[in-house]
Amino acid sequence: MDILLIILTAIAAGVTTYFIANNLKKGAVLASASVTLASGIIFPYFFPTTGSTLMVVAACASYGGMVSRKNAPTILDMVMISAIIGLLFSITATSYAGVGGRLGTIAAISCFAWLGVKNSAKAASRARKSDFLSKSVGIWQ
Amino acid sequence: MTVDKRKLEILALATGSTALTWILNHHLGLGPIVANGLIGVLAAFLMPGALAGVAYTSSFVGMSSLAVLPSLMLALMGGLFAGLVIITTTEIYAGIGGKGGTTAAAAALVTRAISGFLG
Repeated sequence: MDILLIILTAIAAGVTTYFIANNLKKGAVLASASVTLASGIIFPYFFPTTGSTLMVVAACASYGGMVSRKNAPTILDMVMISAIIGLLFSITATSYAGVGGRLGTIAAISCFAWLGVKNSAKAASRARKSDFLSKSVGIWQ
Repeated sequence: MTVDKRKLEILALATGSTALTWILNHHLGLGPIVANGLIGVLAAFLMPGALAGVAYTSSFVGMSSLAVLPSLMLALMGGLFAGLVIITTTEIYAGIGGKGGTTAAAAALVTRAISGFLG
């Protein structure tokens, strides 16, 4: 299946879950469960050929959407986490198939990956600033 | 020895939630996604936040295929393991999306390993 379609589905489901949980303040469980239930009914009905895969992708991203606001403060964070979920889902389609919790594990790995990228970027930025300051002080001395 | 009532509640809820999801999934033929969604929505409406989280997390174990959890008895065992993992890892990685699924995957894999060992 088209990987772009999988990533777009993941982004839509992840962001919807995040929005229901944090902006509408309905809680992570209700947000994820309602997105999962809706995707399980809607996708196979409207997309008979691809729906069975897309509903699983949406459920997987909805588990990622349960991330707390502390770890993903903005919708952009959620978009990036969901995109990683879509990508990982495509890569690991055959791994541990049939094991309950596989989708949540993909979601958790994606969250950690995005937090890692963010923290690395922050650390690199701090290092550049301190390097710039030390050089500036050197010039004045 | 004292028995913590809260922990017993979690174990019972996890076991029940997994078994119910497994029945909805395999016996009623709703499939894992709809079964999990239904249990999650019901739990969110009927239970306080923390217990709803326990029910939703353990329902992930019930999403396992028949190749992993071939009988209701093994589903009950998987739910019990999920409850134990939830109790022992409450504060680890709180707020990470997918933590519940990882917990469930651990419980499902342990159950599969034990059932494979016992034949």
